Amino acid sequence: MVIIRNLFYILVLFLLTGCEVQPVPIEFGKEECSFCKMTIVDRQHAAQLVTKKGKQFKYDAIECMLNDLNEKQNTQENKIYLVSDYGKSKMTTAEDATYLISQAIKSPMGAFLSAFSSNAEATSVMTKSGGEVYNWQEIKKKYGIE
Amino acid sequence: MGLNKKDILFFFGCSLFILTASFARQIKVCPDCEIRSVQKAIDIAFDGDEILIHPGVYKEHDIEITKSLTIKGIGNPVIDGENLGTVFHISANNFSLQGITIINVGKSFTKDFAGILVARSSNFLIKNVVLKNVFFGILVEKSKHGTISYNKVSSNAVSEASSGNGIHLWHCDHMQVDHNNLSGLRDGIYFEFVKESKIFKNHSYKNLRYGLHFMFSNNNAYYDNEFVSNGVGVAVMFSKFIDMRNNLFTENWGSASYGLLLKEIYDAKIENNRFTTNTVGVSVDGSTRVNFEGNTFARNGWAINVIGACYENTFTGNNFMHNSFDLAHSGNVNSNSFDKNYWSDYTGYDLDGNGIGDVPYRPVKLFSYITNRSPEAIVLLRSLFVDIINFSEKVSPVFTPDNLMDPNPLMKAAL
Repeated sequence: MVIIRNLFYILVLFLLTGCEVQPVPIEFGKEECSFCKMTIVDRQHAAQLVTKKGKQFKYDAIECMLNDLNEKQNTQENKIYLVSDYGKSKMTTAEDATYLISQAIKSPMGAFLSAFSSNAEATSVMTKSGGEVYNWQEIKKKYGIE
Repeated sequence: MGLNKKDILFFFGCSLFILTASFARQIKVCPDCEIRSVQKAIDIAFDGDEILIHPGVYKEHDIEITKSLTIKGIGNPVIDGENLGTVFHISANNFSLQGITIINVGKSFTKDFAGILVARSSNFLIKNVVLKNVFFGILVEKSKHGTISYNKVSSNAVSEASSGNGIHLWHCDHMQVDHNNLSGLRDGIYFEFVKESKIFKNHSYKNLRYGLHFMFSNNNAYYDNEFVSNGVGVAVMFSKFIDMRNNLFTENWGSASYGLLLKEIYDAKIENNRFTTNTVGVSVDGSTRVNFEGNTFARNGWAINVIGACYENTFTGNNFMHNSFDLAHSGNVNSNSFDKNYWSDYTGYDLDGNGIGDVPYRPVKLFSYITNRSPEAIVLLRSLFVDIINFSEKVSPVFTPDNLMDPNPLMKAAL
Protein backbone atom coordinates (compact mmCIF):
# COMPACT_ATOMS: atom_id res chain seq x y z
CA MET A 1 0.00 0.00 0.00
CA VAL A 2 2.78 2.38 1.01
CA ILE A 3 4.50 1.88 -2.31
CA ILE A 4 1.33 2.61 -4.20
CA ARG A 5 0.72 5.75 -2.14
CA ASN A 6 4.28 6.93 -2.77
CA LEU A 7 3.91 6.25 -6.45
CA PHE A 8 0.73 8.30 -6.40
CA TYR A 9 2.57 11.22 -4.79
CA ILE A 10 5.34 10.99 -7.34
CA LEU A 11 2.77 10.98 -10.12
CA VAL A 12 1.08 14.07 -8.67
CA LEU A 13 4.47 15.76 -8.39
CA PHE A 14 5.19 15.01 -12.05
CA LEU A 15 1.86 16.44 -13.11
CA LEU A 16 2.46 19.60 -11.12
CA THR A 17 5.99 20.20 -12.42
CA GLY A 18 4.82 19.49 -15.94
CA CYS A 19 2.25 22.29 -15.72
CA GLU A 20 4.47 24.89 -14.13
CA VAL A 21 4.73 28.09 -16.15
CA GLN A 22 8.41 28.85 -15.66
CA PRO A 23 11.30 30.16 -17.72
CA VAL A 24 14.18 27.74 -18.26
CA PRO A 25 17.85 28.66 -18.47
CA ILE A 26 19.06 29.22 -22.03
CA GLU A 27 21.82 26.89 -23.16
CA PHE A 28 24.14 29.44 -24.73
CA GLY A 29 25.93 28.27 -27.83
CA LYS A 30 23.49 25.38 -28.35
CA GLU A 31 19.96 26.71 -28.80
CA GLU A 32 18.72 28.79 -31.67
CA CYS A 33 16.63 31.94 -31.57
CA SER A 34 12.90 31.33 -32.06
CA PHE A 35 12.67 34.29 -34.39
CA CYS A 36 15.86 34.71 -36.43
CA LYS A 37 17.33 31.20 -36.03
CA MET A 38 20.74 32.47 -34.97
CA THR A 39 22.44 30.43 -32.29
CA ILE A 40 22.08 32.23 -28.97
CA VAL A 41 25.51 33.22 -27.66
CA ASP A 42 25.25 36.73 -26.27
CA ARG A 43 24.53 36.71 -22.53
CA GLN A 44 24.13 40.50 -22.61
CA HIS A 45 21.20 40.54 -25.03
CA ALA A 46 19.31 37.25 -24.88
CA ALA A 47 15.59 37.26 -24.05
CA GLN A 48 12.91 34.75 -23.22
CA LEU A 49 9.15 34.67 -23.07
CA VAL A 50 6.88 32.09 -21.48
CA THR A 51 3.29 31.65 -22.61
CA LYS A 52 0.40 31.05 -20.23
CA LYS A 53 0.46 27.41 -21.34
CA GLY A 54 4.10 27.16 -20.25
CA LYS A 55 5.90 27.10 -23.58
CA GLN A 56 9.21 28.93 -23.59
CA PHE A 57 10.45 30.98 -26.54
CA LYS A 58 14.11 31.96 -26.46
CA TYR A 59 15.68 34.80 -28.40
CA ASP A 60 19.25 35.84 -29.13
CA ALA A 61 18.35 39.52 -28.89
CA ILE A 62 15.69 41.65 -27.26
CA GLU A 63 14.79 43.07 -30.69
CA CYS A 64 14.04 39.52 -31.85
CA MET A 65 11.52 39.04 -29.05
CA LEU A 66 9.93 42.41 -29.85
CA ASN A 67 9.84 41.68 -33.60
CA ASP A 68 8.29 38.29 -32.88
CA LEU A 69 5.64 39.90 -30.67
CA ASN A 70 4.99 42.44 -33.40
CA GLU A 71 4.44 39.66 -35.91
CA LYS A 72 2.24 37.54 -33.67
CA GLN A 73 0.43 40.34 -31.77
CA ASN A 74 -0.44 37.84 -29.03
CA THR A 75 0.62 39.57 -25.81
CA GLN A 76 -2.53 38.34 -24.05
CA GLU A 77 -1.30 34.73 -24.46
CA ASN A 78 2.03 35.37 -22.75
CA LYS A 79 2.83 35.39 -19.08
CA ILE A 80 6.52 36.01 -18.46
CA TYR A 81 8.98 38.20 -20.34
CA LEU A 82 12.66 38.13 -19.46
CA VAL A 83 15.50 40.20 -20.87
CA SER A 84 19.24 40.13 -20.18
CA ASP A 85 20.45 42.66 -17.67
CA TYR A 86 23.27 44.36 -19.59
CA GLY A 87 26.70 43.85 -18.06
CA LYS A 88 25.49 41.41 -15.43
CA SER A 89 25.04 38.11 -17.33
CA LYS A 90 21.66 37.43 -15.76
CA MET A 91 18.03 37.83 -16.75
CA THR A 92 15.60 40.38 -15.38
CA THR A 93 11.85 40.93 -15.79
CA ALA A 94 11.15 42.86 -18.96
CA GLU A 95 8.29 44.92 -17.52
CA ASP A 96 10.53 46.56 -14.89
CA ALA A 97 13.62 47.01 -17.05
CA THR A 98 14.87 50.20 -18.66
CA TYR A 99 15.81 49.98 -22.33
CA LEU A 100 18.63 51.84 -24.00
CA ILE A 101 19.14 52.32 -27.71
CA SER A 102 22.69 53.60 -28.08
CA GLN A 103 25.07 53.36 -31.03
CA ALA A 104 27.81 52.64 -28.50
CA ILE A 105 26.44 49.20 -27.61
CA LYS A 106 25.91 46.77 -30.46
CA SER A 107 23.24 44.13 -30.15
CA PRO A 108 23.06 40.83 -32.10
CA MET A 109 20.45 41.91 -34.64
CA GLY A 110 21.70 45.41 -35.28
CA ALA A 111 19.13 47.35 -33.23
CA PHE A 112 21.65 48.67 -30.66
CA LEU A 113 19.12 47.73 -27.99
CA SER A 114 20.07 46.73 -24.43
CA ALA A 115 18.14 46.38 -21.20
CA PHE A 116 19.09 47.34 -17.63
CA SER A 117 17.43 46.31 -14.38
CA SER A 118 18.53 49.60 -12.88
CA ASN A 119 17.09 52.78 -14.34
CA ALA A 120 19.97 54.80 -12.90
CA GLU A 121 22.55 52.65 -14.68
CA ALA A 122 20.76 52.94 -18.01
CA THR A 123 20.62 56.70 -17.65
CA SER A 124 24.28 56.94 -16.68
CA VAL A 125 25.33 54.85 -19.70
CA MET A 126 23.16 57.08 -21.85
CA THR A 127 24.76 60.28 -20.58
CA LYS A 128 28.20 58.75 -21.15
CA SER A 129 27.75 57.25 -24.61
CA GLY A 130 24.59 58.83 -25.96
CA GLY A 131 21.32 57.28 -27.03
CA GLU A 132 17.77 57.18 -25.77
CA VAL A 133 16.07 55.33 -22.91
CA TYR A 134 12.64 53.69 -22.95
CA ASN A 135 10.48 51.82 -20.48
CA TRP A 136 8.68 48.57 -21.35
CA GLN A 137 5.52 50.28 -22.61
CA GLU A 138 7.50 52.73 -24.73
CA ILE A 139 9.74 50.10 -26.29
CA LYS A 140 6.71 47.93 -27.09
CA LYS A 141 5.09 50.90 -28.76
CA LYS A 142 8.25 51.58 -30.73
CA TYR A 143 8.10 48.02 -32.08
CA GLY A 144 4.39 48.28 -32.87
CA ILE A 145 3.15 45.81 -30.27
CA GLU A 146 -0.38 46.30 -28.99
CA MET B 1 65.26 79.13 -71.73
CA GLY B 2 61.69 80.02 -71.02
CA LEU B 3 61.37 78.85 -67.49
CA ASN B 4 58.33 80.60 -66.14
CA LYS B 5 57.13 80.80 -62.59
CA LYS B 6 54.78 77.83 -63.01
CA ASP B 7 57.54 75.49 -64.16
CA ILE B 8 59.78 76.44 -61.29
CA LEU B 9 56.98 75.83 -58.86
CA PHE B 10 56.30 72.44 -60.40
CA PHE B 11 59.97 71.49 -60.24
CA PHE B 12 60.17 72.63 -56.65
CA GLY B 13 57.09 70.63 -55.78
CA CYS B 14 58.48 67.51 -57.41
CA SER B 15 61.80 67.70 -55.65
CA LEU B 16 60.05 68.25 -52.32
CA PHE B 17 58.00 65.14 -52.95
CA ILE B 18 61.11 63.10 -53.79
CA LEU B 19 62.90 64.46 -50.75
CA THR B 20 60.14 63.51 -48.33
CA ALA B 21 59.75 60.11 -49.98
CA SER B 22 63.46 59.36 -49.65
CA PHE B 23 63.27 60.40 -46.02
CA ALA B 24 61.05 57.41 -45.17
CA ARG B 25 63.06 55.78 -42.44
CA GLN B 26 63.38 52.32 -41.02
CA ILE B 27 62.94 52.08 -37.27
CA LYS B 28 64.23 48.97 -35.59
CA VAL B 29 62.57 47.55 -32.48
CA CYS B 30 64.22 44.76 -30.50
CA PRO B 31 64.48 43.76 -26.83
CA ASP B 32 68.03 45.17 -26.45
CA CYS B 33 67.86 48.05 -28.94
CA GLU B 34 67.51 51.71 -28.16
CA ILE B 35 63.81 51.36 -28.95
CA ARG B 36 62.37 48.48 -26.97
CA SER B 37 58.64 48.98 -27.38
CA VAL B 38 56.44 48.98 -30.44
CA GLN B 39 54.46 51.94 -29.11
CA LYS B 40 57.61 54.03 -28.75
CA ALA B 41 58.65 53.27 -32.33
CA ILE B 42 55.22 54.34 -33.52
CA ASP B 43 55.34 57.54 -31.46
CA ILE B 44 58.58 58.71 -33.08
CA ALA B 45 57.68 57.58 -36.59
CA PHE B 46 56.35 59.79 -39.38
CA ASP B 47 53.97 58.93 -42.19
CA GLY B 48 55.61 56.54 -44.61
CA ASP B 49 58.14 55.10 -42.19
CA GLU B 50 58.82 51.41 -41.81
CA ILE B 51 58.98 49.77 -38.41
CA LEU B 52 60.84 46.48 -38.19
CA ILE B 53 60.10 44.41 -35.12
CA HIS B 54 62.82 41.89 -34.35
CA PRO B 55 62.30 38.59 -32.48
CA GLY B 56 61.30 38.80 -28.85
CA VAL B 57 58.25 38.98 -26.62
CA TYR B 58 56.78 42.46 -26.23
CA LYS B 59 54.31 42.82 -23.36
CA GLU B 60 52.15 45.60 -24.71
CA HIS B 61 48.49 46.42 -25.23
CA ASP B 62 46.48 49.41 -26.39
CA ILE B 63 49.10 50.24 -29.00
CA GLU B 64 47.77 53.27 -30.89
CA ILE B 65 48.48 53.83 -34.57
CA THR B 66 47.21 56.91 -36.38
CA LYS B 67 49.96 57.20 -39.03
CA SER B 68 50.53 55.62 -42.44
CA LEU B 69 53.16 53.10 -41.38
CA THR B 70 54.53 49.80 -42.62
CA ILE B 71 54.98 47.51 -39.65
CA LYS B 72 56.82 44.26 -40.27
CA GLY B 73 57.84 41.46 -37.99
CA ILE B 74 61.17 39.81 -38.69
CA GLY B 75 61.58 36.28 -37.38
CA ASN B 76 58.13 36.16 -35.81
CA PRO B 77 58.11 38.57 -32.84
CA VAL B 78 55.36 38.04 -30.25
CA ILE B 79 53.18 40.77 -28.77
CA ASP B 80 51.57 39.62 -25.55
CA GLY B 81 48.44 41.55 -24.52
CA GLU B 82 48.51 39.83 -21.09
CA ASN B 83 44.70 39.52 -21.23
CA LEU B 84 44.39 43.23 -20.52
CA GLY B 85 42.51 44.57 -23.52
CA THR B 86 42.86 45.37 -27.20
CA VAL B 87 46.41 45.01 -28.54
CA PHE B 88 46.43 47.28 -31.64
CA HIS B 89 44.07 50.23 -32.16
CA ILE B 90 44.55 51.43 -35.71
CA SER B 91 42.90 54.41 -37.31
CA ALA B 92 44.95 55.37 -40.36
CA ASN B 93 45.02 55.27 -44.13
CA ASN B 94 47.66 53.45 -46.17
CA PHE B 95 49.15 51.18 -43.53
CA SER B 96 50.26 47.58 -43.38
CA LEU B 97 50.85 45.13 -40.58
CA GLN B 98 52.67 41.91 -41.36
CA GLY B 99 54.47 38.93 -39.92
CA ILE B 100 53.79 39.22 -36.19
CA THR B 101 52.14 37.04 -33.55
CA ILE B 102 49.61 38.49 -31.12
CA ILE B 103 48.61 36.50 -28.05
CA ASN B 104 46.34 36.88 -25.00
CA VAL B 105 43.76 39.50 -25.92
CA GLY B 106 41.58 40.61 -23.00
CA LYS B 107 38.07 39.20 -22.64
CA SER B 108 35.07 41.23 -21.59
CA PHE B 109 31.30 40.92 -21.46
CA THR B 110 30.67 44.45 -22.55
CA LYS B 111 33.70 45.59 -24.58
CA ASP B 112 34.77 44.11 -27.89
CA PHE B 113 38.48 43.66 -27.19
CA ALA B 114 40.39 42.60 -30.30
CA GLY B 115 43.86 41.58 -31.35
CA ILE B 116 43.74 44.21 -34.06
CA LEU B 117 41.03 46.86 -34.06
CA VAL B 118 40.83 48.93 -37.23
CA ALA B 119 38.46 51.89 -37.28
CA ARG B 120 37.74 54.52 -39.92
CA SER B 121 40.64 53.47 -42.12
CA SER B 122 41.22 52.85 -45.80
CA ASN B 123 43.80 51.18 -48.05
CA PHE B 124 45.37 48.78 -45.62
CA LEU B 125 46.86 45.32 -45.50
CA ILE B 126 46.94 42.85 -42.62
CA LYS B 127 48.95 39.80 -43.62
CA ASN B 128 50.69 36.80 -42.05
CA VAL B 129 49.54 37.71 -38.56
CA VAL B 130 49.02 34.90 -36.08
CA LEU B 131 46.48 35.61 -33.36
CA LYS B 132 46.19 33.18 -30.47
CA ASN B 133 43.91 33.13 -27.44
CA VAL B 134 41.93 36.11 -28.66
CA PHE B 135 38.49 37.48 -27.86
CA PHE B 136 37.89 39.18 -31.21
CA GLY B 137 40.74 38.55 -33.64
CA ILE B 138 40.61 41.28 -36.26
CA LEU B 139 37.75 43.73 -35.79
CA VAL B 140 37.26 46.28 -38.56
CA GLU B 141 34.78 49.13 -38.21
CA LYS B 142 33.65 51.71 -40.77
CA SER B 143 36.58 51.10 -43.11
CA LYS B 144 37.11 50.42 -46.79
CA HIS B 145 39.54 49.03 -49.34
CA GLY B 146 41.31 46.74 -46.90
CA THR B 147 42.88 43.33 -47.44
CA ILE B 148 43.09 40.69 -44.73
CA SER B 149 45.16 37.75 -45.99
CA TYR B 150 47.03 34.68 -44.78
CA ASN B 151 46.27 35.22 -41.10
CA LYS B 152 45.67 32.52 -38.53
CA VAL B 153 43.19 33.25 -35.76
CA SER B 154 42.41 30.81 -32.97
CA SER B 155 40.87 30.78 -29.53
CA ASN B 156 39.17 28.46 -27.07
CA ALA B 157 35.55 29.51 -27.61
CA VAL B 158 34.25 25.96 -27.67
CA SER B 159 34.29 25.92 -23.89
CA GLU B 160 32.61 29.28 -23.37
CA ALA B 161 29.79 31.01 -25.15
CA SER B 162 31.00 34.45 -24.21
CA SER B 163 33.46 34.61 -27.04
CA GLY B 164 34.31 36.80 -29.99
CA ASN B 165 34.63 36.45 -33.74
CA GLY B 166 37.78 35.78 -35.77
CA ILE B 167 37.46 38.41 -38.46
CA HIS B 168 34.55 40.75 -37.83
CA LEU B 169 33.72 43.49 -40.33
CA TRP B 170 31.13 46.08 -39.42
CA HIS B 171 29.98 48.81 -41.81
CA CYS B 172 32.74 48.23 -44.35
CA ASP B 173 32.96 48.13 -48.12
CA HIS B 174 35.37 46.92 -50.80
CA MET B 175 37.17 44.54 -48.47
CA GLN B 176 39.00 41.34 -49.30
CA VAL B 177 39.35 38.44 -46.85
CA ASP B 178 41.40 35.55 -48.22
CA HIS B 179 43.56 32.58 -47.23
CA ASN B 180 42.83 32.90 -43.52
CA ASN B 181 42.64 30.05 -41.07
CA LEU B 182 40.03 30.41 -38.31
CA SER B 183 39.17 28.07 -35.46
CA GLY B 184 37.79 27.92 -31.93
CA LEU B 185 35.91 31.21 -32.21
CA ARG B 186 32.27 32.26 -32.02
CA ASP B 187 31.98 33.06 -35.75
CA GLY B 188 35.00 32.49 -37.97
CA ILE B 189 34.19 35.45 -40.21
CA TYR B 190 31.31 37.85 -39.57
CA PHE B 191 30.11 40.43 -42.10
CA GLU B 192 27.69 42.91 -40.57
CA PHE B 193 26.55 45.74 -42.87
CA VAL B 194 29.33 45.02 -45.38
CA LYS B 195 29.04 45.50 -49.12
CA GLU B 196 30.99 44.88 -52.33
CA SER B 197 33.46 42.55 -50.64
CA LYS B 198 35.05 39.18 -51.37
CA ILE B 199 35.88 36.20 -49.19
CA PHE B 200 37.93 33.38 -50.70
CA LYS B 201 40.18 30.42 -49.92
CA ASN B 202 39.64 30.59 -46.18
CA HIS B 203 39.53 27.60 -43.90
CA SER B 204 37.06 28.00 -41.03
CA TYR B 205 36.60 25.06 -38.66
CA LYS B 206 35.44 24.05 -35.19
CA ASN B 207 33.86 27.39 -34.46
CA LEU B 208 31.14 27.57 -31.87
CA ARG B 209 28.47 29.22 -33.97
CA TYR B 210 29.12 29.92 -37.65
CA GLY B 211 32.05 29.37 -39.97
CA LEU B 212 30.96 32.46 -41.88
CA HIS B 213 28.10 34.80 -41.07
CA PHE B 214 26.45 37.49 -43.17
CA MET B 215 24.00 39.89 -41.59
CA PHE B 216 22.46 42.80 -43.50
CA SER B 217 25.28 42.61 -46.05
CA ASN B 218 24.51 43.01 -49.75
CA ASN B 219 26.46 42.44 -52.97
CA ASN B 220 29.18 40.17 -51.63
CA ALA B 221 30.78 36.96 -52.87
CA TYR B 222 32.46 34.03 -51.19
CA TYR B 223 34.18 31.21 -53.06
CA ASP B 224 36.72 28.37 -52.69
CA ASN B 225 36.34 28.30 -48.90
CA GLU B 226 36.13 25.30 -46.58
CA PHE B 227 33.74 25.19 -43.64
CA VAL B 228 34.26 22.15 -41.44
CA SER B 229 32.66 21.09 -38.14
CA ASN B 230 31.12 24.41 -37.17
CA GLY B 231 27.82 24.88 -35.34
CA VAL B 232 26.51 26.00 -38.71
CA GLY B 233 28.82 26.13 -41.75
CA VAL B 234 27.63 29.44 -43.17
CA ALA B 235 24.66 31.56 -42.14
CA VAL B 236 23.50 34.13 -44.65
CA MET B 237 20.79 36.31 -43.16
CA PHE B 238 18.81 39.35 -44.29
CA SER B 239 21.09 39.96 -47.27
CA LYS B 240 20.71 40.43 -51.02
CA PHE B 241 22.84 39.55 -54.03
CA ILE B 242 25.30 37.12 -52.45
CA ASP B 243 27.31 34.80 -54.72
CA MET B 244 28.33 31.49 -53.18
CA ARG B 245 30.60 29.35 -55.35
CA ASN B 246 32.90 26.31 -55.04
CA ASN B 247 32.76 26.07 -51.27
CA LEU B 248 32.84 22.97 -49.13
CA PHE B 249 30.35 22.60 -46.28
CA THR B 250 30.97 19.50 -44.23
CA GLU B 251 30.57 17.78 -40.84
CA ASN B 252 28.05 20.17 -39.33
CA TRP B 253 26.21 17.78 -37.05
CA GLY B 254 23.69 18.56 -34.32
CA SER B 255 20.11 19.51 -33.57
CA ALA B 256 20.44 23.08 -34.86
CA SER B 257 23.20 22.42 -37.37
CA TYR B 258 23.16 23.18 -41.07
CA GLY B 259 25.75 23.31 -43.82
CA LEU B 260 24.24 26.53 -45.07
CA LEU B 261 21.46 28.50 -43.41
CA LEU B 262 19.58 30.99 -45.56
CA LYS B 263 17.21 33.34 -43.78
CA GLU B 264 15.44 36.14 -45.66
CA ILE B 265 17.76 36.03 -48.68
CA TYR B 266 16.95 37.54 -52.06
CA ASP B 267 18.62 37.10 -55.44
CA ALA B 268 21.46 34.80 -54.44
CA LYS B 269 23.46 32.38 -56.56
CA ILE B 270 24.62 29.10 -55.06
CA GLU B 271 26.79 27.26 -57.58
CA ASN B 272 29.15 24.28 -57.60
CA ASN B 273 29.34 23.87 -53.84
CA ARG B 274 29.69 20.57 -52.02
CA PHE B 275 27.50 19.77 -49.01
CA THR B 276 28.57 16.54 -47.35
CA THR B 277 27.67 14.85 -44.05
CA ASN B 278 25.62 17.65 -42.50
CA THR B 279 22.46 17.20 -40.44
CA VAL B 280 20.80 19.57 -42.93
CA GLY B 281 22.70 20.53 -46.08
CA VAL B 282 20.84 23.76 -46.79
CA SER B 283 18.01 25.28 -44.82
CA VAL B 284 16.11 27.78 -46.95
CA ASP B 285 13.86 30.00 -44.86
CA GLY B 286 11.90 32.92 -46.26
CA SER B 287 14.10 33.29 -49.33
CA THR B 288 13.29 34.31 -52.88
CA ARG B 289 15.01 34.05 -56.26
CA VAL B 290 17.85 31.84 -55.07
CA ASN B 291 19.41 29.75 -57.85
CA PHE B 292 20.98 26.44 -56.92
CA GLU B 293 23.04 25.08 -59.77
CA GLY B 294 25.67 22.36 -60.05
CA ASN B 295 25.90 21.66 -56.31
CA THR B 296 26.52 18.23 -54.83
CA PHE B 297 24.61 17.10 -51.74
CA ALA B 298 26.04 13.86 -50.39
CA ARG B 299 25.33 11.81 -47.26
CA ASN B 300 23.36 14.51 -45.41
CA GLY B 301 20.42 13.91 -43.09
CA TRP B 302 18.35 16.30 -45.16
CA ALA B 303 19.89 17.71 -48.32
CA ILE B 304 17.52 20.67 -48.45
CA ASN B 305 14.91 21.92 -46.02
CA VAL B 306 12.56 24.58 -47.37
CA ILE B 307 10.51 26.42 -44.75
CA GLY B 308 8.53 29.64 -44.56
CA ALA B 309 7.53 31.70 -47.54
CA CYS B 310 10.00 30.85 -50.31
CA TYR B 311 9.30 31.91 -53.88
CA GLU B 312 10.86 31.45 -57.30
CA ASN B 313 13.85 29.43 -56.15
CA THR B 314 15.34 27.15 -58.79
CA PHE B 315 17.27 23.90 -58.39
CA THR B 316 18.96 22.85 -61.62
CA GLY B 317 21.73 20.37 -62.39
CA ASN B 318 22.46 19.45 -58.78
CA ASN B 319 23.51 16.01 -57.57
CA PHE B 320 21.59 14.50 -54.67
CA MET B 321 23.57 11.47 -53.54
CA HIS B 322 22.64 9.12 -50.71
CA ASN B 323 20.95 11.58 -48.38
CA SER B 324 18.49 10.23 -45.80
CA PHE B 325 16.03 12.78 -47.17
CA ASP B 326 16.57 14.77 -50.35
CA LEU B 327 14.03 17.40 -49.52
CA ALA B 328 11.76 18.53 -46.74
CA HIS B 329 9.29 21.12 -47.93
CA SER B 330 6.68 22.76 -45.77
CA GLY B 331 3.85 24.69 -47.31
CA ASN B 332 3.08 25.05 -50.98
CA VAL B 333 5.47 24.67 -53.87
CA ASN B 334 5.14 28.43 -54.45
CA SER B 335 6.74 28.52 -57.88
CA ASN B 336 9.95 26.90 -56.64
CA SER B 337 11.19 24.57 -59.35
CA PHE B 338 13.35 21.48 -59.68
CA ASP B 339 14.68 20.52 -63.06
CA LYS B 340 17.39 18.24 -64.50
CA ASN B 341 18.91 17.20 -61.19
CA TYR B 342 20.49 13.84 -60.45
CA TRP B 343 18.81 11.91 -57.61
CA SER B 344 20.55 8.74 -56.41
CA ASP B 345 17.18 7.44 -55.13
CA TYR B 346 15.59 7.67 -58.56
CA THR B 347 14.39 4.27 -59.73
CA GLY B 348 12.86 5.28 -63.06
CA TYR B 349 13.99 4.23 -66.52
CA ASP B 350 15.19 5.91 -69.67
CA LEU B 351 13.80 4.02 -72.67
CA ASP B 352 14.66 6.65 -75.26
CA GLY B 353 18.24 6.82 -74.01
CA ASN B 354 18.46 10.61 -73.89
CA GLY B 355 19.96 10.63 -70.40
CA ILE B 356 16.77 11.94 -68.82
CA GLY B 357 14.43 9.67 -66.87
CA ASP B 358 11.07 9.06 -68.48
CA VAL B 359 9.05 9.42 -65.27
CA PRO B 360 9.32 12.41 -62.92
CA TYR B 361 11.05 12.12 -59.56
CA ARG B 362 9.28 13.23 -56.40
CA PRO B 363 11.94 14.30 -53.90
CA VAL B 364 9.62 14.61 -50.88
CA LYS B 365 9.01 11.26 -49.27
CA LEU B 366 5.89 10.76 -47.20
CA PHE B 367 8.04 10.05 -44.17
CA SER B 368 9.84 13.37 -44.60
CA TYR B 369 6.41 15.00 -44.58
CA ILE B 370 5.58 13.17 -41.33
CA THR B 371 8.84 14.12 -39.56
CA ASN B 372 8.19 17.70 -40.58
CA ARG B 373 4.94 17.56 -38.62
CA SER B 374 6.27 15.57 -35.66
CA PRO B 375 10.07 15.43 -35.50
CA GLU B 376 10.05 12.62 -32.92
CA ALA B 377 8.87 10.20 -35.60
CA ILE B 378 12.47 10.15 -36.86
CA VAL B 379 13.13 7.11 -34.63
CA LEU B 380 11.14 5.04 -37.14
CA LEU B 381 13.59 5.83 -39.94
CA ARG B 382 14.95 2.70 -41.66
CA SER B 383 12.03 0.57 -40.51
CA LEU B 384 10.10 -1.64 -42.93
CA PHE B 385 6.88 0.21 -42.14
CA VAL B 386 8.38 3.49 -43.29
CA ASP B 387 9.60 1.89 -46.52
CA ILE B 388 6.09 0.64 -47.16
CA ILE B 389 4.36 3.99 -46.61
CA ASN B 390 7.00 5.74 -48.71
CA PHE B 391 6.41 3.27 -51.49
CA SER B 392 2.65 3.59 -51.35
CA GLU B 393 2.91 7.36 -51.40
CA LYS B 394 5.24 7.18 -54.38
CA VAL B 395 2.72 5.05 -56.28
CA SER B 396 -0.21 7.33 -55.49
CA PRO B 397 0.69 10.69 -53.91
CA VAL B 398 -1.92 11.79 -51.39
CA PHE B 399 -0.16 13.90 -48.77
CA THR B 400 2.86 15.29 -50.58
CA PRO B 401 2.28 18.19 -52.99
CA ASP B 402 1.48 16.74 -56.39
CA ASN B 403 3.44 19.28 -58.42
CA LEU B 404 6.57 19.14 -56.25
CA MET B 405 8.72 17.09 -58.57
CA ASP B 406 11.66 17.03 -60.93
CA PRO B 407 10.10 16.40 -64.37
CA ASN B 408 13.46 15.68 -66.00
CA PRO B 409 15.65 13.74 -63.56
CA LEU B 410 19.10 12.93 -64.89
CA MET B 411 20.14 9.29 -65.23
CA LYS B 412 23.79 10.05 -64.46
CA ALA B 413 25.33 12.47 -61.97
CA ALA B 414 26.31 15.75 -63.53
CA LEU B 415 29.97 16.54 -63.11
